[in-house]
Amino acid sequence: MKVPMKWLKEYVDVNMTAEEYAARMVMTGTGVEGIDRTGDQFDKVVVGMVVSCVPHPNSDHLHVCMVDVGGEEPIQIVCGAPNVRAGMRVAAALDGAHLPGGKIKKGKLRGELSCGMLCSGPELDVPAGLYPHIGDEGILEIFEDVAPGTDVKEVFGLGDDVVDFEILANRPDCLSVWGLARESSAVLEEHFVMPEIAVEETGEGCFDDYAKVQVQDDALCPRYCARVVTDVKIGPSPKWMREYLYGAGVRPINNIVDITNFVMLETGHPMHAFDLSKVKEQTIVVRRARPGEHLVTLDGKEHVLDETMLVIADNENATGLAGIMGGEESEIVGDTASVLFECAAFERANNRVTARKLGIRTESSGRFEKGVCPATAMEALNRACMLVNMLECGRVVPGAFDHYPNPARPVEIDASVRRICRRIGVDVPAEDMEDILNRLYIDTTVAGDSLHCEIPAFRQDMEGEADISEEVLRMYGYDHIPSTLMNAVTMPGFRGARAVFEDRVKAALVGMDLYEVLNYSFISPKWVENLGLPEDDARRSAVVIRNPLGEDTSVMRTTLVPSMLYTVANNLNRGNAEGRLFELSKVFLPAAKPGDLPEEKHALCLAVFGEDADFYTLKNVVVGLFAKFGVTAQIEAAGDGYYHPGRKAVMRAGGVRLAALGEIHPDIAEKFDLNRRVYLAEIDLDALMPLEKDFYGIKPLPKFPAVSRDIALVVDETVGAGTMMDCIREVAAKTLEDVKLFDIYRGDKLGKGKKSVAYAITLRAADRTLTDEEITGTMNKVLDALRNRFGAELRA
Amino acid sequence: MEKTLQEIRERVLRNIEEARASSSLEQIRVGILGKKGELTGILRGMGKLPPEERPKMGQMVNDVRAALEAKLAERAAELAEKEKAARLAEEAIDVTLPGPERAAGSLHPMNIALSRMVEIFVGMGYEVVEGPEVEYDHYNFELLNLPKNHPARDAQDTFYVDDNIVLRTHTSPVQARIMTTRKPPIRIVCPGRVYRADEADATHSPVFHQMEGLVIDENITMGDLKGTLDEFARQMFGEGIRTRFRPSFFPFTEPSAEVDLTCANCRGKGVLPLAKLSQAEPGMATSQIKDLGGATCGCRMCKGTGWIEVLGAGMVNPKVLEMCGIDSHKYSGFAFGMGVERMTLLKYNIPNLRYLYENDLRFLTQYR
Repeated sequence: MKVPMKWLKEYVDVNMTAEEYAARMVMTGTGVEGIDRTGDQFDKVVVGMVVSCVPHPNSDHLHVCMVDVGGEEPIQIVCGAPNVRAGMRVAAALDGAHLPGGKIKKGKLRGELSCGMLCSGPELDVPAGLYPHIGDEGILEIFEDVAPGTDVKEVFGLGDDVVDFEILANRPDCLSVWGLARESSAVLEEHFVMPEIAVEETGEGCFDDYAKVQVQDDALCPRYCARVVTDVKIGPSPKWMREYLYGAGVRPINNIVDITNFVMLETGHPMHAFDLSKVKEQTIVVRRARPGEHLVTLDGKEHVLDETMLVIADNENATGLAGIMGGEESEIVGDTASVLFECAAFERANNRVTARKLGIRTESSGRFEKGVCPATAMEALNRACMLVNMLECGRVVPGAFDHYPNPARPVEIDASVRRICRRIGVDVPAEDMEDILNRLYIDTTVAGDSLHCEIPAFRQDMEGEADISEEVLRMYGYDHIPSTLMNAVTMPGFRGARAVFEDRVKAALVGMDLYEVLNYSFISPKWVENLGLPEDDARRSAVVIRNPLGEDTSVMRTTLVPSMLYTVANNLNRGNAEGRLFELSKVFLPAAKPGDLPEEKHALCLAVFGEDADFYTLKNVVVGLFAKFGVTAQIEAAGDGYYHPGRKAVMRAGGVRLAALGEIHPDIAEKFDLNRRVYLAEIDLDALMPLEKDFYGIKPLPKFPAVSRDIALVVDETVGAGTMMDCIREVAAKTLEDVKLFDIYRGDKLGKGKKSVAYAITLRAADRTLTDEEITGTMNKVLDALRNRFGAELRA
Repeated sequence: MEKTLQEIRERVLRNIEEARASSSLEQIRVGILGKKGELTGILRGMGKLPPEERPKMGQMVNDVRAALEAKLAERAAELAEKEKAARLAEEAIDVTLPGPERAAGSLHPMNIALSRMVEIFVGMGYEVVEGPEVEYDHYNFELLNLPKNHPARDAQDTFYVDDNIVLRTHTSPVQARIMTTRKPPIRIVCPGRVYRADEADATHSPVFHQMEGLVIDENITMGDLKGTLDEFARQMFGEGIRTRFRPSFFPFTEPSAEVDLTCANCRGKGVLPLAKLSQAEPGMATSQIKDLGGATCGCRMCKGTGWIEVLGAGMVNPKVLEMCGIDSHKYSGFAFGMGVERMTLLKYNIPNLRYLYENDLRFLTQYR
């Protein structure tokens, strides 16, 4: 809400700079977005009187003028406009002036000195609505009788400070000059003086002679006031009104339209003016729309309505959307002769729903949905008629239409001084509370500990003691709030076991050189499609957002995989050729029953890529992570189709699936624009957490020597080297300390499809030195088992 | 004989003196004192001497031997020292050469900041609670005094799943869930993701994180809220950082406050010494420096006000307490909600919110 300071000062004294004033308002709860000064687009432009004007000696179109700019001597200015002449009052930009088009500098034009510039209207970028001659051809002529040297901003009505207020949702009463003046008066402890509203009714007959109004829905239209003005003379409104409207950001149009806008800004009541002659049968009906009813609004758009919407209609058709936008037919035009002013209150929630449904937002609808006070509607309407009197642009017909079946009842609040002080933590004396509340037009009396408050109609936000406490505190000053720590029972601060577990997971991954990433929770449905999951895969059905920002962010992710691939692709595109990443975030699985909330699960996804990365780099991280929690997992070649068929695996512990990992399938990689091999792992934290061992790995240090035996075995290529290791661990369990793979060899001597795998086996007993027989016995058992299960033969 | 000995002594001493390496010393030692050495030979040949000459000769040989051994030891020590020095000199390396690149990982900066925030409140006795991100309208709005079609809902552009389910627009619904299921005293913080239908730019993201705090007990005052946030500010941003409360409006608190923190960049002064300009305001255009005339320039972080708006807070609206089944005459409480990204940007001087969700390794690796 933009308010020119001059307008505000008509109703309250503000004896300080706009900046100081804004600071006071901010600290009492009225936000200020900024302070602008109208006419900031130029400076150093004054009224000049052209004393003489002769043709330029070296040009056929330039003139050399002597211009009185209020100084001792006239100054010489070269001017190229054809309409320049001696005796003309002009806008003269002086040396050093800033104009929207650039800076003016003294200089020579074809040999003649020019100490400034005579300006045209467009060169000053002043809107035509503000100063009527601004659009004239050539340089601007000033017809007002003002002394040379006067700043032209005074002529145009510029140069005022405009405060841009940011009004909170609970204070719609402050969306008006009067409301802000009233609020300011409480803050600054100054008087708020409202003009006395008196309408001179010089028209003939009475309201009913000219128009008929019928309100059919009291709930959606709690109040409807109307008056008629005859003998209307449409023309520009006076300079002061244009100046105020322009400052407030509203384009001046003509006196009648300007009056409705002026009253809206001043009182907070949106108004509408009908050209009465164009209202069919001079009848206005306020009713709900008929299902499927059509309406073309002022902006030329056609809408199809339904029965929840309130319309303004004639006896047959809807002509406007109540409180949102009028119709084309009854618009005020140059020859409008009689006007019906409407000032009404419409139900806020309904107004908001209608505006949303039709996608229209106007100043008026914005105000109605925030709440317009019905009690003051007639006052606002009369203010408009009073302005008609002042502007002498019509005759107000005696009498008014007023439909107000359920007048607002006064609200009274009883509060306790002690409780208020306890709530705000500040001891405000009862008399200060009384003074503050009365300043805010809340009639308050104190009796001991109790406050009795009568809430004025415009404060629809006040409901109880807590609201009173806020009014008291914000006026008394939030800077009085002390800084205390609560005097209460001690409570244990803690985080849940799951959060602690996840922190350990992250710490382990960071320790293995992974970087955490964060991706949006919503993705494009195409991304999941790109994974090529089977039709019946649960990950294909997602929670869909009804009003997404775009398709790319329209479904809640059911898996972290696509966002991770997208992140890797992004990094590759930016030249980050290698990386190790993880994301621990929620995935969302739709509820089985409609209306239930989806299941939200924490998921973990890892990715490694780069020159040195391979499947085993990734596997090491996964195994390392499990080891942190004392978990050993078995691995087998299996997994989703988006992994490379020969380079994917799942890991299980005790039959529970903990992880899937592998290289991304080249087809999928292509779809995600990945120009490098990417290795990805998905880890089920829900499965991992219960396997975590609190204490693990505590074995006494050995007292007896260990023995090592190396074996090299020839097996088929298809036999897993890791699977053979598992076999060794199983068979030699009693005395096995360690088994390591140290060589894999393939060569012609072994034959096609064969490989040699070599292990170093370390045996040790905790309670004795192993004998040769024991060692040989164990090794033979190992070799037998490997031969039986995998056809492994000792390499010759 | 004596002459021979004298000659040996002088020659060998000279040889020792001239030796340039430990190995040549050893050769000399063997040549003279070894089993087949010159001096050993002389000692052996003593048997041929007349018995009365033997003691004298023996004494002489031993003297020569002792002298040579002493000299050998002395020279050996000298050479060892020299050789060590030479070896050490040879082992000198280029210490300016960088070490092999250390692989490293890190948490996301947002989570680094969030962990710190959580830690501070856990230290003050708060339990950490989480709630669903896809949430019922009932908890996200209605129980917080934001009925359907209330204009205050406009401040939070909402993503809808259906008429009754939304992506939560703040972490406040966790408050409502806790208040409807627990009895006071309550002291919780609820960190988590929230969603608003804002296009991503330097200061907005459709997905971001908040941390909500809620305290319900007997005799809780707005002073306790301020004290708590002052303590948080001090621990999060350092000594000298204070809070400023400004009146505001939230439907679920009354009174409500917008809370500013002392700008950590200019320490609340609104201006910076020019000398600090380069480090404090990277990438700043000259035109943005308002006050270049003096020895200071306007602080860009707080736009010269000395304060930075960081969070909303207030005393829980008694209507909300009652809706959640808590006796508002007996209990009062405060609530606050802070943007985690905002804290992250301030804490780590990050110029653009978008950095946080681009996951560019060139950014992430700066936090290791």
